[in-house]
Amino acid sequence: MSGRIQVDFDAAEGAVLRMLGLVERRGFVVSVMTMAAREGRGSLSLDVDARDPGRSLDVVARQLRRLQEVRNVSTSSSDRGAS
Amino acid sequence: MATRAPRKALEAVPAPVTGARLVVEALEREGVRHLFGYPGGAIMPVYDALPGSKLQHILVRHEQGAALAADAYGRVTGQPGVCIATSGPGATNLVTGIANAFLDSVPLVAITGQVATPLIGTDAFQEVDIFGITLPIVKHSFVIRRTEDIPQVFADAFRIARSGRPGPVLIDLPKDMGVKAVVPAEIRPHVEAVEAPEAALIAEANALIAEARAPILYFGGGIAIARAERALRAFAARAGIPSVATLKGLGGIPTDDAAFLGMLGMHGMRAANIAIDNCDLLICIGARFDDRATGKADTFAPNARIIHLDGDAAEIGKLRRADVGIAGDIVQAMDLLTAIPRCAAWRDQCLRQKAMWAMDYDAPGNGVYAPALLKTLSEAAPDNTIFTCDVGQHQMWVAQHCRFSRPQAHLTSAGLGTMGYGIPAGIGALLADPSATVITVSGDGSIMMNIQELATIRRYRLPLKIVLLDNAQLGMVRQWQELFFDRNFSEIDLSDNPDFAEVARAFGIEAFTIDHRSEVAGAVARLLGTNGPILCHVRIDPRENVWPLVPPNSSNVEMMEKAR
Repeated sequence: MSGRIQVDFDAAEGAVLRMLGLVERRGFVVSVMTMAAREGRGSLSLDVDARDPGRSLDVVARQLRRLQEVRNVSTSSSDRGAS
Repeated sequence: MATRAPRKALEAVPAPVTGARLVVEALEREGVRHLFGYPGGAIMPVYDALPGSKLQHILVRHEQGAALAADAYGRVTGQPGVCIATSGPGATNLVTGIANAFLDSVPLVAITGQVATPLIGTDAFQEVDIFGITLPIVKHSFVIRRTEDIPQVFADAFRIARSGRPGPVLIDLPKDMGVKAVVPAEIRPHVEAVEAPEAALIAEANALIAEARAPILYFGGGIAIARAERALRAFAARAGIPSVATLKGLGGIPTDDAAFLGMLGMHGMRAANIAIDNCDLLICIGARFDDRATGKADTFAPNARIIHLDGDAAEIGKLRRADVGIAGDIVQAMDLLTAIPRCAAWRDQCLRQKAMWAMDYDAPGNGVYAPALLKTLSEAAPDNTIFTCDVGQHQMWVAQHCRFSRPQAHLTSAGLGTMGYGIPAGIGALLADPSATVITVSGDGSIMMNIQELATIRRYRLPLKIVLLDNAQLGMVRQWQELFFDRNFSEIDLSDNPDFAEVARAFGIEAFTIDHRSEVAGAVARLLGTNGPILCHVRIDPRENVWPLVPPNSSNVEMMEKAR
């Protein structure tokens, strides 16, 4: 599974490391990353590929939403036939 | 021309307070009574502020003991346990305990000293990036960058640690932040939003329950976290559905309840695993389809539809797709599950299996049979007993053979499997609930991981009862080498153990040794009748294994049994 994860977050100390670490640890390889932060708010976009077929973008999105700094997460799959 | 401010206005300005004093005041404000720790250079300002406070500091002999004791304290009270250590090795020694709390969703606040702010990032003496080291094993973490923020950070840390799915929160405190005196910022109030279960999902779940003919309740540690025993027991009784528990769920429904089939999974009861295999509806409540519970995942409850209730939305669908997933308050959700399945025949079938596969306590020889000893001890112990465990064969024997009437009666390192948990957990449990009888069951491998905490037991006169099952081996590793590694026994021999009774006595703790089953009744009476700390060293057969057992990568119904 490949796709894009977009996160809006509060730009607190460690927030980016926490999010990137979670995504990698939960079974995704990050191929592209863009990030911006100003005035205490940030946005992060990650293009990711799953390490194995058991990984789900929906699940990792819910795990990201548990993080204290995360305000919003959206995902889109780039697999053929996926919406 | 200079003007003099009115006297009243001058009095209204709060006096500056040191950061260390703000830490102590924050802990007092949170209702903390005990904190477990070990002083050192970078955290000395906080220790300087402790005398005269309402806090009782428990001086452990290794920081890992502090973190694990705080973990147990959090499990018993439902409020964050607190541990504190200095920077560098003090902080890294907390790591296993923090991970333990993370894996078992335990509320915990860990406070670490840090080198002074100007030295951070310079490889200063006793500097490690504990914030970075612990990122994957905390629910959240803070570095104090402004002394003024200390009250707010501590308020947030305690709220985060205890709310929703609990977990550990780390606060890293640079030394200069504790020394500086400031007027603190006001604490902003936080309103916790609790979402009610969606009515449509409750209706779908009730419809599945009404249709079911072979339903099973599968519950886990989420019951203890949500203090949901009442709702669970009411639901199970109302619906007449048999139940099984994970290791952490034990006690959610009393283990001697007629319709409770036992623990499921790798060392679970056969009746529990068979019921899961044959059920047509699996109602998972506060459990997470952990691999030790499910065995080979694609063979777990192969014909069942799934209802999954959990306080953490991220657990639903993580390892098993749910037909109905309900995230949020599991107590509210269970109270709304009012459908009654027609499952009397199924229930009878499950109870027959339970009777057929009941544990057998007959063992050949005259040596002590550990399962029988634990059963005898558990039946003789009062209802307020808390068992704490280490990790290994004895951990599984406790889960299989002891009785639990509430989940807080069984403190075990389920997720991380931390050898060395038992004694610190016993310390934490006794301080959290001094009225409880606390029994630590340990093994000869595990006890050596934190044996220094016998000194803590002695110092604080904690009446911990320790049962040490000694097979002179790393028993669980030996069992796996025997069964799955062609009996290639590698590095499991502990026959050069010290005399554990002598070791305990050297720490000032009463101790005795037994090795014959005729001594069990007397040993149990002595353990339970002694007011102070006591260790019972039990020599057991090194060839004994834990049964039943699901081999790795197998279905839960492919259980290996002890030859009868």
